[in-house]
Amino acid sequence: MTTNLDLTDIQGNIIKAYGAYNFQKARYLFLRINNGDKGRQFVDAITAKVTTAIPWGKSENGDVAVEKPRVTTNIAFTYSGLEALELPTASLREFPDDFMMGMSKRKDILGDDGPSDPENWDKIWKEKVHIWISINAPDMDALIERYNWVAQQVEASDGGVTLLTGHRGGDDEENLPYQDASVLYDESGNPTPKEHFGYTDGIGDPVFEGQTNVAARVLGRGKLMRDGSWAPLATGEFLLGHVDEAMEYPKTAPSPMLLSRNGTYMVYRKLHENVAAFNRFLDEQSKSFSGSKEMLAAKFAGRWRDNGAPIVNAPDDASKDEWDKAFEAADFAGKKRMLTDFTYNNDLHGAKCPYSAHLRRINPRGSLEYGVKEAYETPGALVNRRRILRRGLPYGAVKDAARDDGNHGIIFMALNADIQRQFEFVQQQWINYANDFKEGNDKEILLGNHDTKHPSKAVLQVEPGSGKPPHFINNIPRLVETRGGDYFFIPSITALKLIAAGMVDPT
Amino acid sequence: MSNIAGKAYAMNVITPIRWYTTWTNKLFFKAALLIPETLKGLLTLSLIHYARWVIIPRDGFPRLDPSQPKEELHYAYMLFFSNFNGSWDQYVDSFTFAIPSGLDLFWKWNIRYPKSVPLTPFHDYIRHNQIDTAHYYNAYPMAASNDVKSAQKVKKALIDFNAKSSDKSADDFLKDYHMLLNNLQHDFGDMKPTPIVSLSSYEVKKRYEQTKA
Ligand code: HEM
Repeated sequence: MTTNLDLTDIQGNIIKAYGAYNFQKARYLFLRINNGDKGRQFVDAITAKVTTAIPWGKSENGDVAVEKPRVTTNIAFTYSGLEALELPTASLREFPDDFMMGMSKRKDILGDDGPSDPENWDKIWKEKVHIWISINAPDMDALIERYNWVAQQVEASDGGVTLLTGHRGGDDEENLPYQDASVLYDESGNPTPKEHFGYTDGIGDPVFEGQTNVAARVLGRGKLMRDGSWAPLATGEFLLGHVDEAMEYPKTAPSPMLLSRNGTYMVYRKLHENVAAFNRFLDEQSKSFSGSKEMLAAKFAGRWRDNGAPIVNAPDDASKDEWDKAFEAADFAGKKRMLTDFTYNNDLHGAKCPYSAHLRRINPRGSLEYGVKEAYETPGALVNRRRILRRGLPYGAVKDAARDDGNHGIIFMALNADIQRQFEFVQQQWINYANDFKEGNDKEILLGNHDTKHPSKAVLQVEPGSGKPPHFINNIPRLVETRGGDYFFIPSITALKLIAAGMVDPT
Repeated sequence: MSNIAGKAYAMNVITPIRWYTTWTNKLFFKAALLIPETLKGLLTLSLIHYARWVIIPRDGFPRLDPSQPKEELHYAYMLFFSNFNGSWDQYVDSFTFAIPSGLDLFWKWNIRYPKSVPLTPFHDYIRHNQIDTAHYYNAYPMAASNDVKSAQKVKKALIDFNAKSSDKSADDFLKDYHMLLNNLQHDFGDMKPTPIVSLSSYEVKKRYEQTKA
């Protein structure tokens, strides 16, 4: 059990979703290391500015712990990046297969086919990507300042590292040296928690032991216990070198312990959203749907688009009005609770939140017990080892809502201790397949790799015994496409220093 | 060689057990069959086709022919045999997290059984004692056990519906048809090829199909 994390040793992006701290802008850079010595010097220079997980602002006793910075910087490496930094073979060979192979070679597991095939990714993914650097800031000025600083370090590396180009941009650029991301703004220019399909995102993120203020945040976000309460997940699900839900240290941690402890793995994916196809599809399907168009959109995701109300607690247009009134009246903590604290226990058959909804597929909570009383040791037996931390922001702008070929979507980052067991499992078994949901090969509606040759359908369940037929969704187009990505290792500060000094020694 | 055929995986695990404690296991097996409650976890894990535990007495191993000499065995053995959908990891993880105490009960008396949690010693124990499948035939490679169950249900419901429907008015027909769809709403999953169980088995399968082509 981990009760206190060494927050000065953990990179800040693991613990904080910077977007929640009003850091509205992000820029992601990818670099190649051309020379071990110079590469390590570069890592050393960046490490000096890496943002840790230390809490910002006032601590519990009222002291100002650390001022919130103007801009954050974080760094991670691919397997070939760690090779280029000349980590000893004895350490390298202990990394897990998925990380060693990298994302594009895992395409058959991830369902990255057709338009999502690595062939069609942004050009940068044809390069040898070794380093990922992220910059998050409240505004573009702060961001660009830090970006220029990183560019200076690249310059100073004297050919040791190259900032890679090849990101697709919104104005037909094919060769940008960075990937920008940003929250979306409403008409009056206020930041919103929306993504391009119009859903409210970034509500639920797992809560694990060692985080601050766990008691207040754990409802609906930790693991569901038999008595209906929520407990924080084991730290080792998200951080190496800590005990995980299997009561052991994650097996994905290479030695020495100092290299892996307090680090984790990151899945970076540029996910394009086919906004025109989505709107057309929603319009078309809502013609034969008995509820409103918004209700149907909520069925796809598991949350209503406008305020994120979980559809399991606001299953139709009338109950949504009720929910909205209660939400309006609730205080801050009450609102949070209404958004996150729910299960599918009163919806065993999916009549409220369909089995194919994004939310239910991706975190079924206790519902894989199918209402069999105490079937498993714990209600989340099949779920607690499949959780991921989500980071990232939308990118691009929808310039023409009638076209799919713009450059807009989500920079999706999943953090977990075991890519294969957590992210890849969810992507393969729950998004693109449904045996655990007893829906055969039916794919998740929003994210499934639907293709026109074998059109997908989904069943929106209704109350059993009601005599009503379920609603069938047909010919689901591919709504989300992969445009690039890779697997990265986010080391601790200690590990960064060891790597930079060339002093990693597993002996 | 493959433990995998279509969506199914065949697992054989054979573990030594002291011959004089086998009666306790037999007792547990009996009790489990008599009190179905004890197996509800196993039954709810819908990736499992079936699981079977058998005790083979020290002198009970089959011989191909009476001329084959009898083996002198120190231990009796417990054979665990199961077919399931999904990967080895998914299966063993599901077992460990869903029904750890059931596993411990069944394997408790087996030599060097480490307990099901933590996971790695249990993984190692199963791996070490697993006997790979030399030949594995699957009549319905695209079907998971859930698909088979659904197909049986849909087929029967359709035949019954058809038999009862010929003289119905259009309105009654529609009402009953909706009822039928409602009753079958969890049995309409598509049946398509399996998601890749492992990249190595995927490569093996691709090469095998090339040799056939
Ligand atoms: C363009 C692609 C995607 C869109 C538009 C999208 C949209 C959403 C929305 C609207 C929510 C509800 C808000 C919330 O609960 O925070 C959500 C939740 C979530 N999404 Fe996604 N998502 C996308 C990709 C992914 C991917 C690829 C994964 C993982 C493989 C994922 C995992 C999750 C998880 C774990 C949750 C929280 C579920 C819960 O705890 O109940 N999402 N997503």
